[in-house]
Amino acid sequence: MSQLVKPASGRSSGKGIGAFLAGNSVPIMFILICAVCIPISGFSVPYLLNEIMSRLGRNAFLILSLLIPIMAGMGLNFGMTLGAMAGEIALIFVSDWQIWGIPGMVLAMIVSIPFSVLLGLFCGKILNMAKGREMITSYIISFFINGVYQLVVLYMMGPIIPIAHSSIKLPRGYGIRNTVSLLNMRQSLDNAVSFRIGGVKIPVITLLIIAAMCLLIVWFRRTKLGQDMRAVGQDLQVAKDAGIDVERTRIISIVISTVLAGIGMIIYLQNMGNLSTYSSHSQVGMFCIAALLVGGASVDRASIGNVFLGVILFHTMFIVAPNAGTKITGDSMIGEYFRVFVSYGVITVALIMYETKKRRARASMGRQLEAEQQEAMRA
Amino acid sequence: MSETVNKTPTTFRERVMEALRSFGLPRLIIAGFLLLLFILAPFVNADLPMQITNTINRFSWNAVLVLAMVPMVHSGCGLNFGLPLGIVAGLLGGTLSIELGFRGPMSFFTSVLIATPFALLFGVGYGWLLNHIKGGEMMIATYVGFSSVSFMCMMWLLLPYHSPNMVWGLSGKGLRTTISLEGYYDKALANFLQINIGKFSIPVGTLLFFALLAFCMWAFLHTKTGTAMTAVGSNPTFARAAGINVDKIRLLSVVMSTWLGAVGILVYQQGFGFIQLYNAPFYMALPAVSAILIGGASVNKASIMNVIIGTFLFQGIVTMTPTVMNNMIHMDMSEVIRMIASNGMILYALTRKTEVRR
Amino acid sequence: MKNKKQWIARILTVAVLLGIAAVMFVIGRGHTVYFDNKTAEYNGTQYSAFQRVNVTVNGERMAKLSKRDRGMATWIGQDFKMELEVTENKGDDPKIIPVSIKLPYGMDGIVVNLPELVAGLPQEVWQSEFVPVATVEEPEEEVIPEDDMLGDF
Repeated sequence: MSQLVKPASGRSSGKGIGAFLAGNSVPIMFILICAVCIPISGFSVPYLLNEIMSRLGRNAFLILSLLIPIMAGMGLNFGMTLGAMAGEIALIFVSDWQIWGIPGMVLAMIVSIPFSVLLGLFCGKILNMAKGREMITSYIISFFINGVYQLVVLYMMGPIIPIAHSSIKLPRGYGIRNTVSLLNMRQSLDNAVSFRIGGVKIPVITLLIIAAMCLLIVWFRRTKLGQDMRAVGQDLQVAKDAGIDVERTRIISIVISTVLAGIGMIIYLQNMGNLSTYSSHSQVGMFCIAALLVGGASVDRASIGNVFLGVILFHTMFIVAPNAGTKITGDSMIGEYFRVFVSYGVITVALIMYETKKRRARASMGRQLEAEQQEAMRA
Repeated sequence: MSETVNKTPTTFRERVMEALRSFGLPRLIIAGFLLLLFILAPFVNADLPMQITNTINRFSWNAVLVLAMVPMVHSGCGLNFGLPLGIVAGLLGGTLSIELGFRGPMSFFTSVLIATPFALLFGVGYGWLLNHIKGGEMMIATYVGFSSVSFMCMMWLLLPYHSPNMVWGLSGKGLRTTISLEGYYDKALANFLQINIGKFSIPVGTLLFFALLAFCMWAFLHTKTGTAMTAVGSNPTFARAAGINVDKIRLLSVVMSTWLGAVGILVYQQGFGFIQLYNAPFYMALPAVSAILIGGASVNKASIMNVIIGTFLFQGIVTMTPTVMNNMIHMDMSEVIRMIASNGMILYALTRKTEVRR
Repeated sequence: MKNKKQWIARILTVAVLLGIAAVMFVIGRGHTVYFDNKTAEYNGTQYSAFQRVNVTVNGERMAKLSKRDRGMATWIGQDFKMELEVTENKGDDPKIIPVSIKLPYGMDGIVVNLPELVAGLPQEVWQSEFVPVATVEEPEEEVIPEDDMLGDF
């Protein structure tokens, strides 16, 4: 082929508005959906703001835990469910030991760390054996460990692992109930220092913790470990050639993410006040990833801004969709199915955009290489 | 892995060791576990003939769904986690067939007939999508499957179905979650040529149907197009050099897989006796994926034998574990064991080194 | 050597975390305190229930107890403080008695017999463990581990 090759970046730089729309299609789509549904749903603005603030406090930490694996090139960490499970196990123990309030929460966080680390190591090791297929592998890992978790919580807790209080056990005598009440630490973090502005409750300490986490992530990016991870994320081979222990760095990124997910899950559950022993963690994984993608993140790039934008947009949609759906179609279930559909759809769209971008980048790189070779031959 | 070929295993022992090694440790564990259950069954008063009948029955329901995995694995599209898309086509076929009033065993064939255009349509769209995202098929397939199931959740409520057997009684609108197939194609295939020997009851009709489809698949894979498909999967560069249109072949494989998924769910329903809508199809891909992997397939290699062995082992475990365990230790751990075994199998397959080049 | 410093830092972090955990373990122990206004007998002496007792915990009025009543309050930590407004017999002036009790770590529920406590008897006398009556729970459904996407998030 002797045709001149267009410069590789020709397509993507493009005209301003077009490129902006294409690059941020998911958040824009969501803004449109919310703009349509909010007035239909009939919720008042203070109510919405209050709900969003409370969900922000509840979920932001969990979503922040997804940033580190993306930085290290591991894609969307569906394995955050493992951290959530570690947090749940810790909470089961702490509530059995009757430790309440904020001390109980802190204790649960500390207890969850060894579990998170173990599960993170397992996940990281397996992901290293499946390079190039990290996302589907972490997805299946979450199902696999869910099975192990149920084995432990449904069968071993009671007979093998001592649980003192029969009130959290199933009537049959072993295994943990479907729901474990966390009333004794419910909202303990949120209520510690809080005030209301115009009907919106601001949970000060929770927000401070989230802010601290954000600062920690920013600082981490500048450390040597953080730089190593970014190098690994950009190009595995180049990082390896530069002397970075690629395997170890990848495992560490997963371990950190799992530990953060465990802590985030505890924050989430203390806000809810109730632990759904067998279903909380799987919901969490899916919705957090959807929220992050809604905020404009992609499989290989995510920032703190994406986290917050995502929480706000995703949860607004989550709140207003059921009511809007009922008003539009008269069926109460439509809205609920709609928000599940949108969550899945958003992940699908983001994955497709990522893969097409990857292919286009590879193709343009190939063309560039070809052009260079032709130049070299002519010279 | 050394390049030089080790001396060919000659002694019987060496050959057995070689076969075992290529069989893979997890498969050995699973097969061994199933064997153990079969042996234990009579000792713990589990009704072995009934269990074997159940296993064969469940095999007949699921085999076609597992067969649907084969085309896409051959063409290099990986494991079809997007099977729910084909299942949705089948559900549309079944519900529309009932809506249009077809009854009796014939309604099975009308369901297949009606499902086919949907399956072809979905398959073409899905295949086109997969061709644009070579390399990330499995993850996107999963989410395409989920999105379509949750989209259909909304549709089942909104589409104008009227048949009194299917809609909610009170409002008259929207399909029920479970629809009984009595009077329609319940056991349509199973009752055909059913053989009852003592306590065994074998659904010969369903097995014949599966055998027919399996034979067609096998025959197809030996035609020119079929071999082209295998070439595309194992060595795309060679295939392209040989002049094969890689994209078209992949599209064909996806359409075949989707159609088999539609037929597969209809076969499943006629055995099970119910149409399950809404959330049921969400996770139906995973059992089929792990079944074929248990049968010896890998992410880019699958044969009909894998389908048969895998479905039998998987359904055997699903059937035998609850009854045997329950009788033995009075604890029903079957659900958990199934989760660990089937997902562990998929993990094993995903972590094998493959020679796929893109 | 960098390695040695790394190890020390790691061991220190673990030690700090363990320390915090231990502290949390102690200060976070939750108890439910039940107070009985019941006539009790000890060593031959009878300690009669008060006509009226108002119990205030943390500034909030927790319970108004007549004879033979029982009230309860939850408390985190081992130092339980409450204020009793005791009316011994009908017509008496109410007496305000601040009470400070050390709760035993091991017990979840602690029953305090108020008359004995006010009379100044030793702790083992007026304190007893609360044994929950085996309540008949509503038959709980089989645990079906399913993925319910339609819950609130």
